[in-house]
Parts: sequence; structure tokens; C-alpha cells
Amino acid sequence: MAWQRPSCIVQAMQSARRSAQPLLQSSSVSPSLSPIPTYLFARQRTSTRSYATEAKPEAKKHEPPKAQQAFAAAQEIDFSVFSNRPARIVPASPAYFSGNPKFTDGLLEMERLLAKYESLPTVVPSEAPQMAWLKLPQFREFLGEHVPARKFKVLLSTLQRLNQIDPALAPQEVRTKLNSFLRPGNPYADKPVPPVVDELGRARAKGKRKTSSAVVYLVEGEGEFMVNGKSLLETFPRIHDRESATWPLRCVQRLDKYNVWATVKGGGVTGQAEAITLAVARALLIHEPALKPLLRKAGVVTVDARQVERKKPGHRKARKSPQWVKR
Amino acid sequence: MVPSFCGTCLSRLRPTPRVLPSLTSAPRAAPFHTTAVLSSVLMKKKNRDAPAKKYRERTAFRMKKKRHVERPRPPPAGERQALRKRIVLSNPNALEVKDMKDLSADTMIEARLRGSVLGLPMPMLDQLRASGAFKPHQGWAIFRRPGTVMRSETLEMGKNFHEITSEGAGKGKVFKRIISGVRASGKTVHLLQAMTMAFAKKWVVFTVPEAQDLVIGHTTYTPISGTNPTLYAQADATAALLSRVINSNRDVLSGLTVSREHPSLRSTVKPGMKLTELATVGTTDRAIAWTVFQALWTELTATSPAPSLEKHFQPRPPILVTVDGLAHWMKNTEYRTPEFQPIHAHDLAFVNHFLSLLKPGFEKPSLPNGGALVYALSTSNKPSVYALDVALKQLEARQAGVDPKSPEFPQPDPYANADIRVIDALNVPKPKDAKEGALEVQTLGGLTREETRGYMEYFARSGIMREKVSEESVSEKWTLAAGGVIGELEKLGKRVRVAA
Repeated sequence: MAWQRPSCIVQAMQSARRSAQPLLQSSSVSPSLSPIPTYLFARQRTSTRSYATEAKPEAKKHEPPKAQQAFAAAQEIDFSVFSNRPARIVPASPAYFSGNPKFTDGLLEMERLLAKYESLPTVVPSEAPQMAWLKLPQFREFLGEHVPARKFKVLLSTLQRLNQIDPALAPQEVRTKLNSFLRPGNPYADKPVPPVVDELGRARAKGKRKTSSAVVYLVEGEGEFMVNGKSLLETFPRIHDRESATWPLRCVQRLDKYNVWATVKGGGVTGQAEAITLAVARALLIHEPALKPLLRKAGVVTVDARQVERKKPGHRKARKSPQWVKR
Repeated sequence: MVPSFCGTCLSRLRPTPRVLPSLTSAPRAAPFHTTAVLSSVLMKKKNRDAPAKKYRERTAFRMKKKRHVERPRPPPAGERQALRKRIVLSNPNALEVKDMKDLSADTMIEARLRGSVLGLPMPMLDQLRASGAFKPHQGWAIFRRPGTVMRSETLEMGKNFHEITSEGAGKGKVFKRIISGVRASGKTVHLLQAMTMAFAKKWVVFTVPEAQDLVIGHTTYTPISGTNPTLYAQADATAALLSRVINSNRDVLSGLTVSREHPSLRSTVKPGMKLTELATVGTTDRAIAWTVFQALWTELTATSPAPSLEKHFQPRPPILVTVDGLAHWMKNTEYRTPEFQPIHAHDLAFVNHFLSLLKPGFEKPSLPNGGALVYALSTSNKPSVYALDVALKQLEARQAGVDPKSPEFPQPDPYANADIRVIDALNVPKPKDAKEGALEVQTLGGLTREETRGYMEYFARSGIMREKVSEESVSEKWTLAAGGVIGELEKLGKRVRVAA
């Protein structure tokens, strides 16, 4: 029965949709600070809930006077006042039924912007302005919606692509939209002060490897290398260790341009040598920051943070189990 | 098809390998259940270790017979040592370095040869071998012929040797050095260079290639009667020294004759005898080796003939004495007195003689005809003698002009029980004779960059280093060798590099 034929409910919905049309259009262009706006109808906010079957008091006002004139022109339609009031709350966004309406709207908005400005020139990711995007938990809290991680990733890639638009040419619209996705506070603002060469021409840097830690003073010189007040040979009898300690200077042909004065403690011979490697590389970057890509390629910028895995109870070593004995 | 689910208990049945059901062996599945057929034929446990017993074989426990393993026979006695101590001076596979000069009387003073590698003269190699100048593991075996770098210290020594021999103010001077330096810094090769220069200048060379050999109790020793405190003569070691002297200085010594009476050797030694013959007396009769050595030393340090024996006197050449591993002479030896007290190294007549040369001579210089004492320390084979460390510091301080009475002068720790004999032995007063130099400590460091470059070029030209010798590669090796320590440079130079 009632399911099979169009009923008054369906008609009411259609009329509601019609009446909502102008408002929907206006909502899409209205500016807002929030990235994902949601709107209720202005009238619905103020008026109480009403039904299509209810008697309308305003309709009576416009009723033509009976039997005064046999033929009278119809009254001018006042378009400011709708003949049909919406029967119930209707979502502002078509994404209302998608589960994550705010998110979906925001994503669509960003995609619209991307489509609009896709032709603008871009810069490489490393030169794009550094942005601290909202993290997923923060984003969920911000929206109040459970955004799946996969979808969030899609949004992030869109944001990153928009961020890559050449900063000189990026439209204000894009920048403001992008800024609304930033974490509160500015994590990239309070950077540590980059170390500098002191008044005696020394660059000081630390390095760690395994359980060794090294402090290196690097000055311009002619290739002298002192470790703990001893020569390199006395500290590292093995050639390999000497090579590791001098590698950052060697790989950029600076071995005869600097003197190294290092102190290193803790750990074993290899650890000490490689702690010096890291410290020398960092000290060299203070003198010549432009060497960073080369040094990174040489593998002396990345910290090797591995430590000895602890021994576990019930094991002979970290992983080794005791031999299995039958009873 | 049998369903994989059991219809009654709804459990998943294990898939089994499909085998043709044999009517006899496998039990058939119960007809009312859909369980897959599982083979329940159990393997019978077999005792695999025990072989099947044969008929009437004994069952008692039998011990396994030990199998005799054929082992290769060990090499004959002495062969391993000979192999270990073998000195190879040439490598026919190495390229010959063109226009390589020899270390000679002319080239040893040429300052522009600094940093270049000079070959040791081929005719002199036998002399050098006889005097124990080469040691194994010095890397001679990788080059076509032995050669050494002319470093600044070498050139300075060459200049000194030249002055001592040539007519002039420096003629007949004595200079005394203790060579120290880090491991593999070229101390022993410095001695070798000194010997080469001395041979080139026709000096007489006395060498002690291994000071340790005298104190580890490996040679005979006898107390010398009439000495107080008792000194001990080492007959075999002295004979070995004499034979080294004969073999390496045969030309010079055969031109010199005994020029005075030697009452203790009256029966065998006569004036007019060649000095080689005198020395041979000591090598043949070891019992009198020490007396013969003393006689030889008296002859070589004579400045004038004994009266009435003028016809047998020829002017004596300067003497070079080299000792390697001096620190071993600064402590108690492995020898014992009859009371079983340890004998101090300074109580050995041999050691005492060479150490006393460091002190200025009484009335005339310790080497009256001039010459040099070059004693090297060793770092790889070094007994720790606290007194020696202090004595060397004192020597350095004295060299730097620190007054021995000033508080800056290094003093031994009063609680460290420093050996006072060692400090006294190196506490050398300023010599009265102008010709006699004061005892000095010379510390060998690394090569300079220019010298390093010359050395590396020698490797490249010998075909050992397959690498371009450039400013960069040289400075890299110089730093890796901790400022050009030559032994480390050699390791870096001969290392095969695989291009990654």
C-alpha cells in the first residue's frame, strides 16, 4: 500500500527541496572561516517546526476576497515569501548522508580549488612552505567526525599539492584555505638557533653511535686530527676506524682544510670512531652548510640510533632461547 | 565427494593425502561417519643405532678402537724460526724504479733529495745484512730493491757524518743520540740509514740489532774476576758481535793492524796483526771473546801508536755504534748471581761498555776518533721502565735548557721506586771536550707532506699503489697515518683498493 503510491509525504519533500534551492545556492558562495560549513535554513532556525498538512495562517492572508470581483487578476507573487514552507529540516549539504559530511565538503572544496588552480606553476616539495598539518586525531576532534585514515591521506595529498603552488603566485584564497588546516600554534616557528662558528673559528658538534658519544671542535687547518689528546693512530690502531672517523672530511675533499680536536667516551672502538664521524659531519655543516646534500649522500648526516637490544628473561641473549630439553 | 565438514559435530575435518585405500592395511572408515580416512598404521620404532646381530655374535660392551690419524710431520727444528726471521730484500714482480739514486757519500748531504727514496747500494747489502740492519716485516719484500726515504732527520744525520769525516772544524766530533718516537715511525730504519752512511764513509760499525737478546738469559754468562761490583761477560753474545763486526767491516779492519801490546792476549795476538785476525781470535775461542773485544776496542779508539810500534799504526776511522731496543738494558735481567739475586743489566760487561759510551770520556772523548752513538728505543717491544721515562724527560729538559736545579726539571716520583742506576746512566754531564756532543733525545715524528708525496710516488712507480698520487690522495694518507707516520703510510700504500 502506502509504499507503492506517491503520498503526501513525498510531495512534501519535493516541495521542500524546491523551496530550499535558492538557499542552497547562496550557501555555496557565502564566505566562512570554518573549512566545512554546515547550514540550517535561516527560517527554520527561527521558526518552530511545521508540517505540510498544517493549516497555514499566512496563506489565509493572501486569499482573494470572495465575490467582490468576478474576474480579478491574480495577486502579484511575492517571491520573498515562499508559498511553501519546508516541511522539515533538510541538510544544507548533499554530503549529509555520506557519514562524514563536513569532511567530504571540505575535501570537495579543496579538490575544486585544485581543479581551478591546477595550471599554476609548482615548486619542488622541499621548497614549498613548511606546513604543520593537523594530525589525524586532532583533525577528527576538530571536525567531530570519525574520518578514516585512508581518506585523510587523500585530503593531505590534496593539501600538499595545493601547497606546492609557487608561493609567489599562490592565490590568497588557496593560502587562507590551507591555513585553516594547520595545527594551532606554529611548530616550525621556534626552531633551535643554528649553531655558528665561535669567535676563535671553532665549530663544536656532538655525535653519538651505539654507546659512544663524541664532541668535536673543527677549525680551519691542515689536516691534523687529535682524539682525546692522542693522535689518530694511537686511538684507532685499525685503519678502518681511522677511515670512518675521517670520512666526512674525506668525502668532500676537505681533509687538508680542517683540523679536528675530538673527545670521545663510552662504548667500543668502532662506536667511538663512528660517533666521531657524526660529530665531524655536523661540525663541518656549521662551517659549510651547503655541503649537506653531499654529506647526506655519503651517509654521515643520518643518525644511526640503533642500540644493543636488551636481554630478556627466559632467553640466553636478546632473542636466543635456551636449548629445548624434553622434560 | 565427501564434504569437508562433519555434519553432526560441525567440525572441520583435516584434509588428508589422498591415498588409494588398501583393503588390508588401512582400516576402513566407519560407514555412519564422514570422517576422512586417516592412516593409523603406526611406524614400528626401530633401534637404528644397533646393527642387526649376527649369529653367535658377542653382546658385551665393546670399546671403540682409536683410529690412528696420519698427521703431517712437523717441520724440522729451526725451520719455522728461519722462515719467521727470513729477510727478503727483493721482489722481482715489482717494477723497477727508473733513475733511482743510491744512498752514497755524495747523496747523503744533498738537501734537494729530501723526500725522495734512495736505494741502498747493492754491494753494501751484504754488509748491512751481516750487521743485522734489516728486520723482518719492514716491508722490504714488496719492492724491487731496498730503498729508504730521505727525511729531514736523515739529511741532518748525513750532514753530521759528513762533518765528522771531512777536514774542518767538525772533524772527529762525536754525536750521541737516543732515538724515540711513536710506533712504526722509522726508528730502526733510521739506524739502518746511519749504518749505510757509516759504511759509505768507511767507518767501523758496531751494531746490537736486538738489545733484548742480551738480557733474557739466552746466552752464556760468567763473572769477570777482579771486578767490583762484579761484572759478567757474555761470551757467545760477544762472539756474535765480533763476527758481525768482522763480516760487515772486513775491508776497513783488514787495512788496520794491531798497534800495541795486549798482555792478556799475549799468546795469540801480536803487533802487526790485522784487526780482522784479532777479532777472529774472539770468534774462534769464545772463552776470550770479551778480552778480544776489549783489545779491539782499544785498538780502534787509539789515537796514537804505542811507543816503538809506530810502523804498525794507521789512523783509526770513526766508529758508529747502534743499539736497537735500548729499554731492555734498563732493568734487571733474567740472569742470576750465585746468591740467586737478579743481575741488573748494567752489571753485564757488554751492556755496561756501550752504556758508558754515552757519558763523556775521561780526558778524551768516549770515541776519540770521532763517530756516532745512535741508540734507538722500541715501541712495539718495550718493557715499561719508569726510571727510563723519567730519565728521557730529564734529557729532553736539559736539551731544552732547563736548569737541573730548577723546580721545572722533571724529577722521579719519590714513591715510585725509580731505578736510580738508570737515571744515573742517562744523567750525562756536559762534556768538557768541544768535540764531544752532549747526549740528545731525538723524537721521530711523521713525514712532512712533501716527503709523504715522494714516498707515495715511489709506491706508485714500483707498481704497488694503483692510484693517482695527487694532492688529495697524499693529504688523505698523511692524515690517516696520523701525520705521516711512515709505517702507517706503508700500510696504506700497499693496500689494495677495490673501486666500489
